[in-house]
Amino acid sequence: MGGYVEGIIAILCINLIFAYGVFLTAASGQLNLGGAGFQAIGAYVAGVCSNSLGFPIFFSVLGGVLGAGLIGFLISFPVLRTRGVYMVLATFAFALVVSGIILNTDFLGGATGMVVAAYTPVEVLIWVTLLTILLVFWLMASRIGLVMRAVHDDDVVSEIMGVNVRGVQVFAFTLGGALAGLSGALYAHHYSFIEAQYFSALLSIFVLLFVLIGGTQTAWGPLFGASFFTLVPEVLRLGDTEWRYVIFGILIVLMMIFRPEGIITRTLVHRVIMVFSRSGGH
Amino acid sequence: MNDPILQISNVSKSFGGLKVLEDVSFNLTPGQRFGLIGPNGAGKTTVFNILSGIYAVDHGSVVLAGKDITNLPIRERIGLGLSRSFQNIRLMPHLSVIENVLMGQHCQSSQITEMLKPINWMKGNKWKQRAMETLENAGLKVDPGSTVGELPYGVRKKIEVVRALMSKPSVLMLDEPAAGLNARETSELADFLHEISTRNVTLLLVEHDMNFIHALCERVAVLNFGSKIFEGTPKEVNRDKAVLEAYLGTSTLEGSDAA
Amino acid sequence: MTLLLQQITTGFMLGSIYVTVAVAFTLTIGILNFLNFTIPAIFMITGMIAWAAAAYGFPFGVDGGISWPLALFMGVTAAVFASLIVERFTFRYLRIRHGDATEHAIPLVSSLGFLIIFENLILIAFGSEAHSFPEKFKSDFYIGEIIIGLPQLASLAISLVVVAFLSWVLKTTSIGRALRAIAENPDTASLLGIEVQRIVPLVFLFSGLLCGVAGVLFVVNYSDVSAFMGEEVGTKAIAAMVLGGLGSIWGAIAGGLIVGLLEALSIHFFGADTVNVAVWGTLLIVIIIKPSGLFGASRIGKGKL
Repeated sequence: MGGYVEGIIAILCINLIFAYGVFLTAASGQLNLGGAGFQAIGAYVAGVCSNSLGFPIFFSVLGGVLGAGLIGFLISFPVLRTRGVYMVLATFAFALVVSGIILNTDFLGGATGMVVAAYTPVEVLIWVTLLTILLVFWLMASRIGLVMRAVHDDDVVSEIMGVNVRGVQVFAFTLGGALAGLSGALYAHHYSFIEAQYFSALLSIFVLLFVLIGGTQTAWGPLFGASFFTLVPEVLRLGDTEWRYVIFGILIVLMMIFRPEGIITRTLVHRVIMVFSRSGGH
Repeated sequence: MNDPILQISNVSKSFGGLKVLEDVSFNLTPGQRFGLIGPNGAGKTTVFNILSGIYAVDHGSVVLAGKDITNLPIRERIGLGLSRSFQNIRLMPHLSVIENVLMGQHCQSSQITEMLKPINWMKGNKWKQRAMETLENAGLKVDPGSTVGELPYGVRKKIEVVRALMSKPSVLMLDEPAAGLNARETSELADFLHEISTRNVTLLLVEHDMNFIHALCERVAVLNFGSKIFEGTPKEVNRDKAVLEAYLGTSTLEGSDAA
Repeated sequence: MTLLLQQITTGFMLGSIYVTVAVAFTLTIGILNFLNFTIPAIFMITGMIAWAAAAYGFPFGVDGGISWPLALFMGVTAAVFASLIVERFTFRYLRIRHGDATEHAIPLVSSLGFLIIFENLILIAFGSEAHSFPEKFKSDFYIGEIIIGLPQLASLAISLVVVAFLSWVLKTTSIGRALRAIAENPDTASLLGIEVQRIVPLVFLFSGLLCGVAGVLFVVNYSDVSAFMGEEVGTKAIAAMVLGGLGSIWGAIAGGLIVGLLEALSIHFFGADTVNVAVWGTLLIVIIIKPSGLFGASRIGKGKL
């Protein structure tokens, strides 16, 4: 595999897992504008596990996942007591607090960053990504996924129907945080270097935006969103230029005007399935 | 046998300084078809919201099948047999028809092992079959996979009633189920509800359509400004002075006396 | 001790910029229930356009640049213009269709889109380095041993005047009444005969103007502008707004001054790096414990709140 292609695949894998993490909370009705905070936690916990504790990579990554998931669980309780714009702001502030703490902790490398001693090749990233995708698809196809989407649409009625709404929201937040942490842990071990400045507010904003554009009703949404926004700029040879972001911004504005549910909606998936089942014959 | 299945006793509720319900009491017997009527703002939907647990009572109690549910958390009430529909249809707009109906069944199987099973991937899913059958029996000829938000009003109203039935309720509360339906749809609904009540489902209906109430309900309570001003059969309600005054105003009452 | 007092004074002056931007935020949230994330970019546009105009006569190309008052004015105009573009393409299309949990965020997401568009357009036009505004405004005077920069004092005064004026408009003029009616309930306001569609752009005009004023104050005080100047100031202004209470103008004033103070104090006691943790940590705690902030809940609460 050429180095360039390998690089694209690596960042695509990480973005996909990250996107699924943010997707889970969005699908149950909460907007997480602090995804980078969880990714950072995953990255740094995993990094410390590999560096200082000498864990084998698998356990370091697991450590990152558990660390991010635990923080997600703990922070979900106070955050879920807020609503609407306050919740957005709380998650936003959370990510900024995380990066602020990292910047001030010399042990974690402060502003200079942390070198990670171990390395995972891109093949591992691909496998983990595939497993993650399968996990989320299965989750959304199960009753849990249905309940999450019901809570998103109407949490009061869901409660009346007997759903433990708070429980569902905490679950989504925790698992979402864990997945974002997974993406961070993998990032740390593939690029072997992490710094707080990378896990910025802008990163949180970007990943939330391409999850929203992809669609939060089905597991296809983040797959589409992350892939589109990682691959298309490369294809158009926009690379890392600012024009890529300008077009991204314009797309977002247009989407919110014409199709705020995202490109891939449940209805769209249903219609596609109907087309296939009809043409597939009986 | 004739022990009341639902007892609402001396319920009062205020919001801030505004007293919305004052000492409201009435009982329902099993299988009864009970109507709750009154002018707009009389407090009828508030009663429903108190029964659902969305609002807490200031005074009074609610007893369902002998169990005091006054302070029971919202999500535990459906398991005890209390189900409802809403004045402004509250289906989950982005879910499909079948998904909405399945949510109505949620309380019937919410153990974790059940929750992990994929809905569509497994053939012969009894849970899903029951939902499909109920939709058919209700005469709903829609694609079960279509998104609810796009369907016509009358169809959505029916789906909401079907959803409310999925939990096998003992008491079914319907908030203006006939609102917005034409004459044919209204009479179909009345037949449908009549049939349901024969299967030991108690009906509590809020309605404005007096013909509908007459056709369906055995007993009616009238609310006005948060108080119950009358309770009786539909015929008796029609003749009661206080009720007529509430709906029509005193001057018209004098006119009708003369006639 | 003097150093501490000096830091506090500087903090207050810095706070005046936060005040102005915080009021821009709180105005849009209070009246329109909309967290306008483009505001930091609009603030930044003021500074960058003013610099470009003064440095080389952007957009026409004038030898020796445009005079500084006109350049500053152009900056403010650009800010208002940008703000109105945001109104045209985000808020005007808002229709609550289903009222589900994420729908309230549609304009917020659009504003994030515009944030990205504006910031990157500026980066393309002017690059990512910091630039210095050609005119320097330096004149200090002393109270005891404390140095107070005249521009800083002017900032504080100007921002308070602008905000007081805005407050007055809201309280006494008919437009102000219309805005408060819309804040209360846009549907009712519409029924009362208020032409909501024509008044809403005014909110964007005002908030754009406020960002413009803040941008001018920043340029006058700090001279250095860059495409990233909006990020720091903008996010701290958000913190100030939350501290003061969403929708409350007096809250934004108090919040802005407190954030400025907090910043100065954390630099003094713990070093420059701790500022962010101090400010965001405080913000997080406030949101969790008393989201209504210092001055109580205002207009937030429609729909899903």
